[in-house]
Amino acid sequence: MAVSRRVQLSLVSIFLLVIFGEGIAQALIELGRGERPQALDLFTRTPNAANLRAYETEMEKTAWSAKALRPVMQYARYAGYGDLGEKALIGRDGWLFYRPGVTFLLEPWPQTAATPMPQEDPLEAIVAFRDALAERGIALLVVPAPGKPSVYPERLSGRVARTRTDVHGPTRTFMERLGEAGVSYVDLFTLYREARIADPDAQLYLARDTHWSPAGLRMAASAVADRIRAEGWVAEGAVVYEEKVVTIQRQGDVLRMVDTPRIAAEFELERVDCQQIIETATGEPYHDDPASPVLVLGDSFLRIYERDEPGSAGFIAHLAREMKQSMASIVSDGGASTLVRQELQRKPELLRGKKLVIWEFVERDLRFGMEGWKLVSLPNTETVAAS
Amino acid sequence: MFISARAAHGTCVFLLLLAVLAGCGGSARTDGADPKVTSLGSIEVTAKLVDIIGEFPPNDLYDYAYVLKYEVMQTHRGEAPKTIYVGQYNPLKPRAEAADARSGEIGGNVTAFHAGEVHRIALEVPIDDYCMVGIINKYAEQTQEPIYWAVWTNRVVQ
Amino acid sequence: MVFTSHIFIFYFLPLTLLVYYLLPVPRNFFLLVMSYIFYGWWNPWFASLMLFASYVNYVCGHVIATSPVGSARRKRALVASVVISLTTLGFFKYFMFFENNLNAMLGVLGAGALPVIQITLPIGISFFIFQSLSYPIDVYRGDSPPVRNFFDFACFVALFPQLIAGPIVRYNTIAEQLVQRDHTMEKFASGAALFMLGFAKKILLANQMGGPADAVFAAESPAMLDAWFGVVAYAFQIYFDFSAYSDMAIGLGRMFGFEFPRNFNAPYLSDSITDFWRRWHISLSTFLRDYLYIPLGGNRHGERRTYINLTIVMLLGGLWHGANWTFVIWGAFHGLLLAFERWRGKESVYSRLPRPLRVGITFVLVLFSWVLFRAVDIHAATAYFKAMFGLASASGGSVLLDSILYTRGNLIVMALCAALAICGTQAHDWVARLTMPRVVLLLGLFVLALMTMFVQAFNPFLYFQF
Repeated sequence: MAVSRRVQLSLVSIFLLVIFGEGIAQALIELGRGERPQALDLFTRTPNAANLRAYETEMEKTAWSAKALRPVMQYARYAGYGDLGEKALIGRDGWLFYRPGVTFLLEPWPQTAATPMPQEDPLEAIVAFRDALAERGIALLVVPAPGKPSVYPERLSGRVARTRTDVHGPTRTFMERLGEAGVSYVDLFTLYREARIADPDAQLYLARDTHWSPAGLRMAASAVADRIRAEGWVAEGAVVYEEKVVTIQRQGDVLRMVDTPRIAAEFELERVDCQQIIETATGEPYHDDPASPVLVLGDSFLRIYERDEPGSAGFIAHLAREMKQSMASIVSDGGASTLVRQELQRKPELLRGKKLVIWEFVERDLRFGMEGWKLVSLPNTETVAAS
Repeated sequence: MFISARAAHGTCVFLLLLAVLAGCGGSARTDGADPKVTSLGSIEVTAKLVDIIGEFPPNDLYDYAYVLKYEVMQTHRGEAPKTIYVGQYNPLKPRAEAADARSGEIGGNVTAFHAGEVHRIALEVPIDDYCMVGIINKYAEQTQEPIYWAVWTNRVVQ
Repeated sequence: MVFTSHIFIFYFLPLTLLVYYLLPVPRNFFLLVMSYIFYGWWNPWFASLMLFASYVNYVCGHVIATSPVGSARRKRALVASVVISLTTLGFFKYFMFFENNLNAMLGVLGAGALPVIQITLPIGISFFIFQSLSYPIDVYRGDSPPVRNFFDFACFVALFPQLIAGPIVRYNTIAEQLVQRDHTMEKFASGAALFMLGFAKKILLANQMGGPADAVFAAESPAMLDAWFGVVAYAFQIYFDFSAYSDMAIGLGRMFGFEFPRNFNAPYLSDSITDFWRRWHISLSTFLRDYLYIPLGGNRHGERRTYINLTIVMLLGGLWHGANWTFVIWGAFHGLLLAFERWRGKESVYSRLPRPLRVGITFVLVLFSWVLFRAVDIHAATAYFKAMFGLASASGGSVLLDSILYTRGNLIVMALCAALAICGTQAHDWVARLTMPRVVLLLGLFVLALMTMFVQAFNPFLYFQF
């Protein structure tokens, strides 16, 4: 056999082996498990665009080769290219960032044709919510939580330290719009900036997580409490709380999202000293009280340390300590834009006796909030009364 | 290219047979009953997944529950109206792989959700008492009915 | 369906190859069925449009072929095919553009806007309309014999290897192949090699360059360096994306016994814009030359008319890419440069400089045109040019771009792209001389690209939108 013929045969046979091997192996694996080959699902559904897309996605997701090779390739790309995938960015000094948070700052917002304006304007939803609450005699305080790149841009970009540019223009503009619309809000951006000017090494956010540190949340809780006291919306209570230091170790949600154990193993767990809030009278960790005059709505910035490990050490508990009384709360990861208000609609009893609603959301959710910024009506008064 | 027509015919017949066998292999009828679905939750129904509005968001940074609309065909335990709205935790994941610390015990043998399929589901209600994550409810503006929480979801082949 | 998808590589392609080579009966019909499945995979309704375009042009071609030369019936059939084809293309591709511009004009005049009808653009419509239209024209000109049956013709129009993004195959190019084509191991091997090389180019190079290009073009106000980096990344993305698709299309064609024309020839080594259009998307430029430039009179009616014809052809070529003023200006930019070079005797104004400089200047001119091609609108293109020339400084979050752009992966791949573009070795030539070390390298790249595909987000070819 001539060399060229041998070369051709080698190439063709291996090529065919690769393209045929995957499907055959997958079918054999599934038959071996006593299942019908998933490829045949194609014939069980109406062949419309949505079903075909779903079929394709499922086939790829459940493929043995993809499952086996994805972690290997993710690690290889991390080791070779310093690449953590589509949703994560590697910053400096071991800091990791969630890419949509950076995208929010990079791209124009409100948007041009390149990135369409979200269907609902957040301001419209907030003003409508504020007005609906006001009709019931309840005040609203909005707390946009800075994303990590807004507070620590120099941990992401080598240029920011030199230029000292304010990177959170879209949120700054939005807060100005809030002010013009007469919506009360707390500016955590300025607070954190001043804190970092006073102490450049202040660790207000976690290095490998998208959220604030215990120090950051305490500062936020204190600022919110100051504002409540200043406005006189709610009087301080009489419950005495104390702090107990609990140390936890966190891998961080960015690494959790990357979902590749070999990459996660390259980073040390982050040691975090939390201040758990304990009710002095009972010795029990802080817990919510649905009857509180204050209802706190928000996203995972409220969940961290509060409902996660160690518990009762998050923003809500620290706000309760500041205000000397329990809070009521609705927390929805990534869902502070609309989902929390929908949950409030399902839980009318939470509005009973309320004087103040605090609404926290992370700045990137102005654009990327789950379910956008829908107008959601409050549960009707009769329902509240009946409940 | 390199084989005779007779061999080609033979291979075609063989492959067709293989496909038919494979097609029949796992498609035996099942009512979806197993020890989990018949014991977990306070309600158990066989229901048809009527439709799925929109696309499930990716499971990157957040866990979530997505509300799906079902028509109840048979109630095995507890009580349920004809139409129920059921929150499925992280629906992009096969039920067998969906459970985690925040979901509590959930599971089943459904690998993906498709409108028109029939499921046997163990349920709890209301969802807010059981689900600790964001609930994406595309039906929120259409109905104020309570939302159910899917504990165990098995596929029914009729 | 996308070539670089799990479903295509591991299910559609093997199944199609298997049945194709096992079938003793006419294979064109089977290819036709699989091509419609391939196309209908996006949206089954789109397939009916392709069937309509195929049928209209088949009937018109049949009428032309069966009518006496010079008869009015023959001319009417040709006009009908051109009008129906272009109306179909115009409706799906340009109607919303027309509506939006009409509303803009009404706005200027103070009148209220008309409601805009939303029309979904069927993928690859420009390609299959042009291809099907080439048949009645070729038959009319006597360049091709009439097709023997509708299925062969529909197979030519729908042929999945080159259906979505070319190369644009004219009927007379493969008329004979539809009737009789060879299937040899050599052809199959070179087809598989081209396909694998194209696959690796798309996944390993083009997709990697797409990240920084997308980031910079979406940024509010990129810094000057970032803007240049972004447009160079886009230049490599579009070249390695589109040429990869062409390589894969030609490779797939060979696996099924077809021979399609090559579409690229080291375009970034062009030393003038005239040279660039001999090397870039060759099937489009020759199509426009033969079916538009020459019918317009070409260079037969004096110099002035030649320049006008060149500009018109490039303007329409720009519009062919998409319903946006950016494409019109892109076409005009190239058309004017081509006309200018024609005026200078097909030489650029920098033709006396050393070749590396000529190549460099041409590349920069092409980069300017890519800004127009990639920007979402004129406003964005203007802002981008300002950034490139340092007329707008980076502000706000745009200063963070460096964290996305200058990563190890992007720098490595950009250097690799530059080296490949400069060395000028073309996939066709490379696979023509297959040796065992090349086979090993090729298979290695293919497997690496397959593995990389598993961690990349869905990333269709850029030219799918056209």
